[in-house]
Amino acid sequence: MGCGTMSAFRSLLVAEARILSRDRMALFFTLAFPLIFILIFGFLVGDFGAVSQSRIGLHVASGVDRSVLDASIASAGSIVVESFESLDAMENAVTDRQVDFALGWNGSTLSFHYDANRVQENYAFQQLAAGIASDFNLRRQQATPAMSVEPIDIGDVAPTGWFNIVLPGILAFSVLSSGLFAVSGHLTAMKARKVLDRMVVTPMPPVALLAAIVVVRLALGYVSTLVTLLVGVWAFGLQYNVSWLRFTVFIGCSTVGTMGIGTIIALVVRQPSSASSIANALAMVMLFLAGIYFPIEFMPGFLRAIGNALPLTHMAKAMRYATGVIDMAETEFWAITLAFLAIAVVLFPVLARYVVRPLRR
Amino acid sequence: MKDVLSLALVHLATAVRERITLFWFLIFPVFMLVILSLIFGQIGQEGEISFDITLINRDETGGFSDMIVTLFEKLAEPQANGQEPLFSLYVPNAGEDTDTFLIQEKAALRRGKRAAVVVVPSGFGETLAGGMATGRQDTASATITIYMSHTSVASEMATEIIEQMLAEVDRELLIEAGAFDPADEIAAQTIWLGKQGEETRYVDFLLPGIILMGFFTNGLFGVPGAILFNRDQRILRRYWVTPLSVPRFLAGFALGHLALCAVQFAILFSLGRYGFGATVSFLRPAAWLTLILSAVTFMAFGFLIASLARTANAGMAVANILNMPMMFLSGLFFPIAGLPPFLMAIVYANPVSYLANGLRVSLGVESSTMRPVLAIAVPLAWIAVSVLVAARRLRWDVER
Amino acid sequence: MADTVLLQVIDLVKHYGDVRAVDGISFEVDTASVFTLLGPNGAGKTTTLEILEGIRHPDSGEIVVFGDRMNRIGRAVKQRIGVLLQDGGFEPYLKVREILRLFASFFDHPLPVDTILSLVALEDKAGALVRTLSGGQKQRLAVGTALINDPALIFLDEPTTGLDPQARRNMWSIVTDLKETGKTIVLTTHYMEEAEALSDFVCIMDHGTTIAQGTPEQLTQAFGEETMIEFRGDELSEDAIEPLRAWSDGVRVDGATITLSISNLPAAMESLLAWSRERAVPLDDLTVRQPNLEDVFLSLTGRRLRE
Repeated sequence: MGCGTMSAFRSLLVAEARILSRDRMALFFTLAFPLIFILIFGFLVGDFGAVSQSRIGLHVASGVDRSVLDASIASAGSIVVESFESLDAMENAVTDRQVDFALGWNGSTLSFHYDANRVQENYAFQQLAAGIASDFNLRRQQATPAMSVEPIDIGDVAPTGWFNIVLPGILAFSVLSSGLFAVSGHLTAMKARKVLDRMVVTPMPPVALLAAIVVVRLALGYVSTLVTLLVGVWAFGLQYNVSWLRFTVFIGCSTVGTMGIGTIIALVVRQPSSASSIANALAMVMLFLAGIYFPIEFMPGFLRAIGNALPLTHMAKAMRYATGVIDMAETEFWAITLAFLAIAVVLFPVLARYVVRPLRR
Repeated sequence: MKDVLSLALVHLATAVRERITLFWFLIFPVFMLVILSLIFGQIGQEGEISFDITLINRDETGGFSDMIVTLFEKLAEPQANGQEPLFSLYVPNAGEDTDTFLIQEKAALRRGKRAAVVVVPSGFGETLAGGMATGRQDTASATITIYMSHTSVASEMATEIIEQMLAEVDRELLIEAGAFDPADEIAAQTIWLGKQGEETRYVDFLLPGIILMGFFTNGLFGVPGAILFNRDQRILRRYWVTPLSVPRFLAGFALGHLALCAVQFAILFSLGRYGFGATVSFLRPAAWLTLILSAVTFMAFGFLIASLARTANAGMAVANILNMPMMFLSGLFFPIAGLPPFLMAIVYANPVSYLANGLRVSLGVESSTMRPVLAIAVPLAWIAVSVLVAARRLRWDVER
Repeated sequence: MADTVLLQVIDLVKHYGDVRAVDGISFEVDTASVFTLLGPNGAGKTTTLEILEGIRHPDSGEIVVFGDRMNRIGRAVKQRIGVLLQDGGFEPYLKVREILRLFASFFDHPLPVDTILSLVALEDKAGALVRTLSGGQKQRLAVGTALINDPALIFLDEPTTGLDPQARRNMWSIVTDLKETGKTIVLTTHYMEEAEALSDFVCIMDHGTTIAQGTPEQLTQAFGEETMIEFRGDELSEDAIEPLRAWSDGVRVDGATITLSISNLPAAMESLLAWSRERAVPLDDLTVRQPNLEDVFLSLTGRRLRE
């Protein structure tokens, strides 16, 4: 690049940074959204699906032998038991949510009492209860299992919860929305502020403008993902084994790749404000279908198929790999990374022309 | 009166015709209802979840090991009703070296391509057969190994399911061997504590939440969006040169907005009832009142945002920032027990918390976690604050 | 006050901090006439109109309208006036008919929507969404909303700004048609041709005050029996122009346009032709015309109406 291009690039860089600082949509989704999200979710949701420490109520009718039952409960894992004098008191404790569920044993019947309204949690409680019941029955008859089953965990990373897996997905989402909004948001801001109009009368090469946009958005992307990652580690003690090479390269390629995707949207939709809203809507829908909150396996077939076709799904996987949360074939990671880069390269000239065109009226 | 009605109709017509508004107030809640019902409604039920499982049978002695393999194969068969089988089974080819295969499959497990790798050890059938007689088992050759990965929720679930499956098999074996007497088995009785005496359906829990979310989004985004856009585009200005007064304009706006909420409710309710089999009945007066209170509270809140923002863009930014904390720190979708104090403070200040709980309690799908007085007082307080602030600060025309 | 005066404005004042937007303006508007506030941008025309429309409140002054004296315009007056704002939007996703119906609902005695549609020639666009309308069509719709209550007094703020010549002419014929039906129109403009073509009475404003009032003829008569000769002369030095001052009553150089104000046309023509032969100046775009309001404004303020 020649001298003129360099200085054009520098002043465009400053202008672009200024535009970005006023693009509230982009700033929100890249900076605020991930932070707010992880702060809320970090505290809100413990282990998804699994029961870490359950509190159960217990009422044994007077005079009934409870030793076997106690042993079964003890063998079921980390459970805190609260005993009750009467069945009523125990059931109240269940509906008041002082305990997760309760057992009643009167010598002939073993009853499990659940709050019918704890819809999202009862499945896990019932699993636990089933385990206690079957262990109880075996123990009573002093029958030892004919076979045993041993689960062996071969996950590479140190055990942490579901939230550890979610966070890289959120980072992927923030990169996605930043890229999607880059073009449409940029144009909206430009139309409102005419900051760059003054520069158009100079012989400014489109390359410089595009480079300025990309550099600023990239910087934003890196800063926000790093900050979010650090907050996760500091506030919640999440553990990551970040491969900085993969992390850096992936964020770079996926940012420009999603900018390319954003260009497609902007081209199809034409009006910058609608493009922004449509990008917003698409991002929201993708957020749910891409397996970020809950595993894709849980969705019915056709939704799973849609999910697997979304760019966000693969971005999330790649981020999880780059932060050392899951394992993945190295080739798959680089294939994803290069795919995004390819999108950016292919759409580069289109992007340049489209972004600069409205300036040159 | 006709001016109020006209304004209400206009509000409705615009919302329906403007595609982005239509998306947020209608399509998005419908989407959420469908997705969440499909996903969470399926947990614990078979038919929709499918796991990729590897099964390696190292035993040549047949008998019990064959039985286990058959069991897995049965669960991998395509089902009569066209639904996916629970398992997609991966087994070594005939003559393939099981050690190599195991290494390969474990690698696939680590990469998320498999949910679990199940290994039946060599000598399993024989050991079990022998053990039936003596009744004592503790050896490695009687242990089925399940390799799983804690980094995958699917893996954890699949493991649980397989463990349960094998526990059942074990029970059958013990019964066969005479080591366990089913007649002496203590039955586990399940008792559901709640209004209907049976387990609440997920969609009955979800539907009120989605409806409330619809009202909330409508109020949080729709109201500031409409008001600020109309003001900034100088549409309102054309009204103020006519005899139309601001209070009448507001009445028309509110009527239109509430009509929109009614449309939302009708569509979501129909979908929930006829699409997903919700049984919740909104006919109770307490439910109606809570719905109306919710719609009004969120609308007032929307006015609050409109009066604090200078431009439409700023208003939308504020709405976006408030959207997530208010929706999630409310018990609407996730239980809020165990939050640290500073987040609990938000929960208690959040009108959504009270309205969500109030609505579900009135429908009989939840026990009351907020004091009933507060359930009405807090939303009313928010309405009052919003009205006061908006009355003072909301500008009805752009500056010249 | 005469019976024919529909609207009287007395010493109207409106300040914004140090800025005196309207600085003591007074005028009278006769029934069934077109009254024009003429002046450059920033003269205070729109502010004055907004006060009369009831969306701004004056700091002092009085208004007498429909026979009643008041300090500010209230809702009762709004029932009887029609307003076309200088800038204003419509809901993009509403149809033309729906907009008119909406505005009709604000008044006690609206005209039928179909009448308005034919009045502003938008019948074939009745079912079209506002966002599909052209600028001129939107302006006609705005006029429609100003007429929906069959008002006796209509305010039009810069009604043809930004319109193409065809649309402008349409607007002019609407205004004259309205006057024929006995309506009173107060309009603001910075286009001299518009003021001349439409007005029965003109009030020239600058910096918030009136600097001249009268019919167009009265105002231009300040120039007496003068005739104006105008031609284009590029790059003429002061030296070259000097001789013209000898035999004309006034010489004005405005860019490339030279305007001469003369009393004896034949004599002046002779002198001009001689001058042009001598200096070899081709008299491009030579025009002989009557004095107009632009000339009036220029002579009063030294500035043009249109910056």
